[in-house]
Amino acid sequence: MIELKQVTRRFGNVVAVDAIDLTIETGEVCVLVGSSGCGKSTTLRMINRLLPHSAGDILVDGKSITTMNPQQLRLNMGYVIQGTGLFPHWTVARNIAMVPRLLKWPQARIDERVRELMTLLDLDPATHADKYPQQLSGGQAQRVGVARALAADPNILLMDEPFGALDAITRDNLQLEMLRIQQQVRKTTVFVTHDIDEALKLATRIAVMDRGRIVQHDTPENILRRPASEFVENLVGRQDRGLKLMSLRPVRELMTPHASPKRSDPGADALKEDDSVRLALSVMLWQDLKQLAVFNARGEETGVITRERIMQDGL
Amino acid sequence: MAKIDGTAAPRPTPNRVVPVLAAVALVLVWLLDLGTIQPNRIVPGTGHGLVSAVGWPGAGLVSLVLIASLAVSILPLAWRYWALLVLAGLSLALLPLLLEVFAARHLPPDSPYARSSVGAGFWCLLFLLSLMLIEILGRLKAGRGVQLLVMVVIGGSWLVLLRGAGLESLSLVREFNAQPDKFAQALRAHLALAFGAVAVSAGLAVMLALKMMRSPAWQRPILGAVSFMQTIPSLAVFGLLIAPLSALSSAFPVLQELGVRGIGWAPALLALIAYSLLPMVRNTFVALTEVPESLADAGRGMGMSERQLFFQLKVPLALPVIIEGVRITTIQAIGLTAVAALIGAGGFGGFIFQGLGQSAMDLVLLGALPTIALALVADALFTLLAASLRPVPATA
Repeated sequence: MIELKQVTRRFGNVVAVDAIDLTIETGEVCVLVGSSGCGKSTTLRMINRLLPHSAGDILVDGKSITTMNPQQLRLNMGYVIQGTGLFPHWTVARNIAMVPRLLKWPQARIDERVRELMTLLDLDPATHADKYPQQLSGGQAQRVGVARALAADPNILLMDEPFGALDAITRDNLQLEMLRIQQQVRKTTVFVTHDIDEALKLATRIAVMDRGRIVQHDTPENILRRPASEFVENLVGRQDRGLKLMSLRPVRELMTPHASPKRSDPGADALKEDDSVRLALSVMLWQDLKQLAVFNARGEETGVITRERIMQDGL
Repeated sequence: MAKIDGTAAPRPTPNRVVPVLAAVALVLVWLLDLGTIQPNRIVPGTGHGLVSAVGWPGAGLVSLVLIASLAVSILPLAWRYWALLVLAGLSLALLPLLLEVFAARHLPPDSPYARSSVGAGFWCLLFLLSLMLIEILGRLKAGRGVQLLVMVVIGGSWLVLLRGAGLESLSLVREFNAQPDKFAQALRAHLALAFGAVAVSAGLAVMLALKMMRSPAWQRPILGAVSFMQTIPSLAVFGLLIAPLSALSSAFPVLQELGVRGIGWAPALLALIAYSLLPMVRNTFVALTEVPESLADAGRGMGMSERQLFFQLKVPLALPVIIEGVRITTIQAIGLTAVAALIGAGGFGGFIFQGLGQSAMDLVLLGALPTIALALVADALFTLLAASLRPVPATA
């Protein structure tokens, strides 16, 4: 658990972060979102003491971070930044091994862990372990960045616009990847972005920041349904909110389940239970259908979703 | 590699550099004197053109080799650069044989003071063939192994031929044989001065660069000071140091025992260090500060200490640029050490100034050629070192 209490950061006379209170529960993904210069990166960098805070207190698992050795503190916090920050003179494997080596793990354990992480992040150890960062694509390099952050199994993950420099398709893939990994490892994550869609997709709770203050801290659904101010309303998009809400809801919640799963051939583009209602509606509009079959992960048809139901209960 | 060159492009484009060099060499070697014969050291000699020097067979062979290089380089053959490498390499390795034939044909018998010397035609041939070789090695994308092998073969062949009996009459060999001990001594002094200065200034430069990184306020004064030292003419520095060092050594007898005097190695070393500081400090500082801050930030955020960041991130990334600074400095120091002979520091400059004083050009060459050779060898070695230390491989 991370607690920020009345935390302030001043650069000279400029107040970058103004007496914010924020509690991030263990295992949750808290996304700090806001326009550039709103203090979100500053807040993140205060948590691992890359920046000292000017006033207030930051507690990690109940302990004030100022009482801890900064290096020890950071070794227990994964850190992912935009543009990866991978060391160009180290191979992929050596980069991932950075923190375990700093912690002086035995070599065999490090090798084992590197293989495990590369597999987790969908990088083939045989082909990629000995490559250098500049021989990778942007997406692969950022996967290595995430693997490096997870290497020593830290409790906390700090991510500073990690996917900001990637193209839309790669970014989308990595976001899905992150959701999948988060399901497995459940790290307490603080994620900074200026992209509200990214925030809605990844967050369990979103903290919207503006001019150094937190203007709303709530679940993605509540941020969309009950924006606390006009600023938040503009940020989430006034007109676009209906579809955004639909994209938060899985099809599973609105489908009419079959009594027992049916065997049939789903095809590559079949709708899955975890897909969003927004996707289901989009497919129906495009193919001019009144209803769609829904499949589970094993490829069995488990129910149907109708256009009527979405119109009634979609939001 | 030639295979790649050949198969990647089915019709290799004709080379433009080698034929031009070969044609220029062909013209110059026929126009200029290949060598001269002097009855003794001082009297100006009589020049001999190509045919007169080595006879029609020799002239024919030289012309044939050059014409062959010209032809091969134009033909669209896959293996042409390997053929050219053999051709140019062998010509360079066996070049002293031309002088040997020349000496055998023209040196009057039983005149112990007569000597043959190298003419402009020979120098041009040597220079242009070397350029051809560099171009060919570049086109072959030859690895370090091949380059080293070519250099060793050519250098070895020259050493063997120059030490042989056939070239004893060559003026350079005569000058060397007159004082081989002095030559060895000059070599030692030259190396000690140049590399001593480079080593000391490297140490100083690292300290100054670190100081500049820690306290940015020092950047301008330090860079200003080392740049200023670079602007003083070298002769002036050597001269200016004489008075204070004389005063120091007469005030402190300990210094005198160490050999520190107004002239000699002490002022030379100081001046060389002063000159070496600018390239050294600038390269070290720039290399260390140009390591991207985002990388240091990532490392710091992952829990590296400043010390670990310095040794595991900054130094490895900066090393090639620092070594580049050492390379430039070394070449510069080797050249400047020749001038330091003026204040009695020893080294190859001694031969140069002695030769100038006696207007014996061969003695000047005996000092100048090894200085050039030393600089070239140092250049090659540091280039190799920097290449092997380059931490980042080429991008995919």
